[in-house]
Amino acid sequence: MRRTTAALALGTAATMIATGCSAVSGGDDGTVTLNMVESLTNPTRTDLLDDLIADFEEQNPKIDVNLISPPTEQADQKLQQMLQSGTGVDVLEVRDITVGPWSTNGWLYDMKKDLKGWDGWQAMTENTVSAAEDSGGRTYYVPYGFYGLSLFYRTDLIEEAGFDKPPATWDELLEQASAVHDPGERRYGYAFRGAANANSNVTAVVGAYVADKIDPANAFKVKDGSTIFAAPEAQDAVETYFRLYEQASPDSSVSWGYPEMVEGFSNGSTAFLLQDPEVIAAVRESQAISEEQWSTAPLLTGPSGKTVQPLATAGWGVADAGEHKAEAVKLVKFLSQGEASLTFTKENSLVPTQKSAAEDEFYTSGPWATYVTMTEHPETYLNVTQPRGVAWWTEWEQKADADVQKVLLGKMTPKELLAEWDAYWTEKWAKEK
Amino acid sequence: MPAASPTKQPHEPRTRRPFRTGGGGRPAHRGAPRRGRPVFTTRRGLTIAAFMAPAALFVAVFTYYPMIAGSQMAFRNWKLSDLTDKSFVGLQNFRDVFADPAWGTVLSNTAVWVVASIVPQLVIGFALALWLRRRFRFRGLYQALIFFPWAISGFLIGILFRWMFNSEFGVVNDLLQRAGIIDEPVTWLADPDTAMAAVIVANVWYGVTFFAIMILAALQSVPDELYEAAALDGAGKVRTLFQITIPYIRTTLALTVLLRIIWIFNFPDLIFGMTGGGPNNETHIVTTWMIQITQQGDYGRASAIGLLIVASLLVFAVFFLLATREKSEKKSAKKGERS
Repeated sequence: MRRTTAALALGTAATMIATGCSAVSGGDDGTVTLNMVESLTNPTRTDLLDDLIADFEEQNPKIDVNLISPPTEQADQKLQQMLQSGTGVDVLEVRDITVGPWSTNGWLYDMKKDLKGWDGWQAMTENTVSAAEDSGGRTYYVPYGFYGLSLFYRTDLIEEAGFDKPPATWDELLEQASAVHDPGERRYGYAFRGAANANSNVTAVVGAYVADKIDPANAFKVKDGSTIFAAPEAQDAVETYFRLYEQASPDSSVSWGYPEMVEGFSNGSTAFLLQDPEVIAAVRESQAISEEQWSTAPLLTGPSGKTVQPLATAGWGVADAGEHKAEAVKLVKFLSQGEASLTFTKENSLVPTQKSAAEDEFYTSGPWATYVTMTEHPETYLNVTQPRGVAWWTEWEQKADADVQKVLLGKMTPKELLAEWDAYWTEKWAKEK
Repeated sequence: MPAASPTKQPHEPRTRRPFRTGGGGRPAHRGAPRRGRPVFTTRRGLTIAAFMAPAALFVAVFTYYPMIAGSQMAFRNWKLSDLTDKSFVGLQNFRDVFADPAWGTVLSNTAVWVVASIVPQLVIGFALALWLRRRFRFRGLYQALIFFPWAISGFLIGILFRWMFNSEFGVVNDLLQRAGIIDEPVTWLADPDTAMAAVIVANVWYGVTFFAIMILAALQSVPDELYEAAALDGAGKVRTLFQITIPYIRTTLALTVLLRIIWIFNFPDLIFGMTGGGPNNETHIVTTWMIQITQQGDYGRASAIGLLIVASLLVFAVFFLLATREKSEKKSAKKGERS
C-alpha cells in the first residue's frame, strides 16, 4: 500500500515536471506547429492577428500557428527568456530597439537568402525595404508598419486666435501655441512631453534644425561625423522647444507622459499635440471635441524648411533556434504583404508599408492624409534612421528623459543638456570602435 | 484507505495511530496527550520524502534555483545586450551601484518612503480597528469597504492616483481649490518634493487596510474581562488603551510592523505606476531603481542591488525581532517577579 502511494507520488511529480518542460511540436500527420510570440500586445490587436493567422492556416493546411501574447510590459523580457532557452519560438515580433541585442546574441535568423527575389519587396514603400535591412545587410525582420509623429491641432482654437492655417515650423508652433495658451481658463497651448520618452521630441526638434546636414543612416550624426547635439543649430532648436514649455504648456507637464498628453488633447483643453497615428483612434472617440474641431498637420520643420522623420518600427522575424524555418518564413511573408499587411496597419493605426496604401481611401482622407503627404515628399520630410538598435538605447532614453526634466525643473540649462548628450554619444561611439 | 484498518474502532482516541508510536504496547488513555514520537523507519521516511518531493522540487526549481542563479549574476558581466560575454567581474557591479550619483537619493528616498508610510498606516489602521471593533449597524459593510483597497493591484492604484494628483485634470487639486485651501493648482507630480508626498499619500491609503485587518483580528482576542476589570479600577480610555490593549496585542503589532516594513520596502508597483521614479529620478526607491536598471538590460547590476536589498532586510528583520522579543520577555519576567 505504502509503496503504491510512494510510487504514485513520485509518478505525479515526474509527470508534472515532464509536462511542464516539454515543448509543443508537430503532429504525426506531417502538420507543423509554429509558435508565434507578439510583443506590443493589446487585446484588439491579438484578435486581429488571430484572424490573419486563420487566413494563413486556411491557405496552408499543413501549418498550425499557435499565437502567444504576453502582456506588453513584460513581453520583451518573456521573449528574451524564451529565446535564451532556445525553445518555444518560431516567429516573433522584433522591434527596432530589440533587434540589435537579440541579433548580437545570435537569437534571430537572417532571412536575407529566403527573401531573395520575393515579389513582396516590390509592393513595399522605400522606407519599409530599407528598414528591413540592418547596417550589415542582414534581414532580421520585415517591418509591419511604422510609428511616426504628426501634429494634432485644434482647428477652432487656432482660428479664434487669428491663424488661418496650422503651423509648419517649430517657430510658428511656438507662436500659435503661446497665443492659445491661457491657464487661468484651463486652456493650454501645447501638450508637452516631460515624462517617459521626453527625449524623443527633443531629438525630433534638433533633427529638424540640422536637417540640411544630417546623416540619414544615423540620425544622431551630422555628415562630418560629429553628433547632431554639437551642431550650432541645435542650440536654437532646444531653446525654441523649451520656450514652448515655458510659454505655452501646463506647468505640470514635467510629469506628462503618453496618457496625459492624449488626455489633454482629447478632453479639449490643449490645442497642439505631437503624437503617433494610433492617437487618431483615441481622439475620434472623444466626447469633448468633434471631428470638425481637430485635424492633423505634417511634422514641423526647422528654419531650412525641412525636417526629419525618425520612424520607429517593428516587424516579424524568425527565431534562429526554431526547427521549422521554411514555414516560419512563409508566415512572415504572408503577414508582410497584400491584404494582410494593409488590414494590420489600418486596424492597428500604423503608417503603412504597402505602396498601394497611397491610393486607399482610408489613408488619403481625414487625419491620415498627413502621413501620405509626408511619405510623398521625402525631400521635405527626410527619412532618417535613429540609432535605436544600439545596446545602450534604453539606458540612453532613461538618462535623456531625466536630463529633459532637469532642464524643466531649472536644474540644468539647455546648453548643458546639449553638451551632456554630445559627450554621451561621442563616448559611446568611440568605445564601439 | 479506511478499509485498510479493520482494527479501528469508532471512538478510539487519536493516539491509537495512523503511526506506530514509540511507546510500544503501552495502553492509550482516552483523551491523554500523544505519547512518544513516531519512529522513523526508512520506509516511512521514504514515503514522507515521496510526498514532499513534488512540492520540494517545485520550490527548488522555481524559488531557490532562480535565487541562486540570480545571485551569481551579481558577480558577472550579465548584460542582455550581449550575452556572449558573461565573464566573472568580482565586485564590480556593487562598486558601480555605490558609485552611481543617484544611489544616495535612492537610499534616502527609501528611508523616507518606508518611515513616512508606516507611521500613518499604523496610527490610522489602529484607529480604524478600534472603531470597527465596536458593534454598530452595517459594520460588515464598513469593514468590507475599508478592506477593499487591499484587493487592488499596486500598479493600478499608482495609475489611479496619478490621475487624481494630475495638476490640471485631477480631483485632488479640484477639491482643494473648491475648498479654498489653494488658489493655484499644485503641480503635484511635477515637483520632486510634492511627488514624493503624493506617492506616500497613495501608499498610506493602500496600507492602512492591512493594519486594520491585522489589528482588528488581534483586538478580538483581548478578553472583555480585562476591560471590565480596568473599568472597575477606574482606568480611563487612554489608560486602557496603553495599559491593556496595546500590551496585549504587542506581538501582533510587532510582527505586522515588521511585515509591512519589508513589504513597503519591496513595493515598487505604486511608485512605478504613479511617477515612474521621476521627475528627474527623484522619487526612486531601491526597488524601483532596480527595475529601471533591469530595463536597461544590465541584469548584473540589478542583481547586485537585489542582493543588497535581501541582505539589508535580513539584518533588519533579525534586529527587529530580537529587539521586540527582548521587550516582551522582560515584561513577562517582571510580571513573574511580581506574582
